[in-house]
Amino acid sequence: MAANVKFYCDSERCIECNACVTACKNENEVPWGINRRRVVTVKDGEPGERSLSVACMHCTDAPCAAVCPVDCFYTTDNGIVLHDKDICIGCGYCSYACPFGAPQFPTSGAFASRGKMDKCTFCAGGPEETGSADEYKKYGANRLAEGKLPLCAEMCATKALLAGDANMVSDIYRKRVVSRSMSTISSSAIQKGGFNPQ
Amino acid sequence: MNLVNRVFLFGFVFFLLSLTAITIPNAYAENPNKPVGNINGPDTQQFNVKSPASDLWRAVRQREKDGSGNITGLSQVKGPNASTLINVGGQEWRDWRVSKLIPYSMYAIGGTLLVIALFRLIRGKIKIKAGRSGKKIKRFTDFQRFVHWSVAILFVILGITGVILTLGRYGLLPLVGKEAFGFIAYYGKLLHNYLGPVFSVMMIVMLFTFIKGNLFNWTDLKWFAKGGGLMGGHASAGRYNGGEKAWYWIAAIAGSVVILSGLIMNFPQLITWLNISNEQYQQAQFLHAVGSIGIFVVSFGHIYMGTIAMEGAFEAMQTGECDSNWAKEHHDLWYEELQKNGELTMQDESSKSSSNESAQTV
Repeated sequence: MAANVKFYCDSERCIECNACVTACKNENEVPWGINRRRVVTVKDGEPGERSLSVACMHCTDAPCAAVCPVDCFYTTDNGIVLHDKDICIGCGYCSYACPFGAPQFPTSGAFASRGKMDKCTFCAGGPEETGSADEYKKYGANRLAEGKLPLCAEMCATKALLAGDANMVSDIYRKRVVSRSMSTISSSAIQKGGFNPQ
Repeated sequence: MNLVNRVFLFGFVFFLLSLTAITIPNAYAENPNKPVGNINGPDTQQFNVKSPASDLWRAVRQREKDGSGNITGLSQVKGPNASTLINVGGQEWRDWRVSKLIPYSMYAIGGTLLVIALFRLIRGKIKIKAGRSGKKIKRFTDFQRFVHWSVAILFVILGITGVILTLGRYGLLPLVGKEAFGFIAYYGKLLHNYLGPVFSVMMIVMLFTFIKGNLFNWTDLKWFAKGGGLMGGHASAGRYNGGEKAWYWIAAIAGSVVILSGLIMNFPQLITWLNISNEQYQQAQFLHAVGSIGIFVVSFGHIYMGTIAMEGAFEAMQTGECDSNWAKEHHDLWYEELQKNGELTMQDESSKSSSNESAQTV
């Protein structure tokens, strides 16, 4: 099955609990200072405050892959953008180009130079043998191979963060939009005529 | 070189020219917007439903930009760019790198090499017309030579590693494979990053060491008007000719830009107090690449003229001494000045002590 997977974060639902960040760190045992996923809040403390959980968006035309000087990126059948840490040289160009700030760099070597890049893998491991210890050490969990979705989305308490087949994600979101407009209509009726359940 | 050889070599050069003219545009200008890295998947697949993410992120994109041109919020996560929602300059930088920097630097390097090859064919080796006199004139002190060669060696290492990092993906990588190229590029990057600061120091020392005699004057204007005597004829020159001075100032100005922009990019996780934004990294990378490709290309001319182009030129920097007839032909005003000051007779007797003394005074 070759689905086209995507993340979607519903800004109407995200409550900035940062559980996705914690779940990602724990599931993939990423080192200190590496944040594969983060929650960004706009208009913090003001009316209209919204939060978004951001990680690698697995772009179809990925800028990181276009600028990589060693061509270490590849796209899987599922549309997941992965990279090979054996080839990556830690130059940082992907982070210059990435719109979402996904590429992360550990400190390694003298003068705190950049180590090999690390980023969200959609919990799909990496080019190493699936399920191997090497794969886990370098890229974190391969939940997709176990038939599971990324943990950040699976355990999101408000189901704001959705991950999976792009069509299914769209479907879920469309239903939400419809029910939200229904509730807006009914609530405006209540505001006009008062709440009279009989 | 006789006529037959020359015609044959001309043909060869035009063959090379046509080869690059055919292959380079096909390989790099064919479709710059084609998605990179798609092996077999999403390229052939279409969305049935529009992803809600595109609308959401389009809305985010409409938000106000902050001081560094990015769209930011607040984040509990601390790290570089953690609070940035969209790195706006990234797309522009990517387009520039893929569709401008890489093809145009290839044209620049290839074109310069071709021009030098053509010049060689037309002009051949530039001999000392009067032959060698055997008399040596002190041209560079030991310290000047030490500074020149340390900068030169570092320059070549930085130049080669830099070109590997910029163009290697389209040149070397297909030849050696990804794993081997990753290995080469990794150690190339280490060399480039750690030798860069050493180069910066030596470069600044060199600029001070050679500034004497490298200021432009009227003689240089005449020298340029005569084309530097490159195509025959004679153009007067002092200790350094117009071309050498131009090279000095190109190295000084473009070199400073390259050094500064390089140092900005070099220690991203050490110099965190500068809070260098992604936008500034993109600008630094732009300046670094443009400046270094510029110097790199001009250096071909300098290296060619200093080594195999001209009889008697290399030994000046190799041994510190040049032949008096070479000096008379290429740096006549300098030669006359030395004669006037009575420094020539002193050198002719090859009194080493006095030359060492002058080495310390410079």
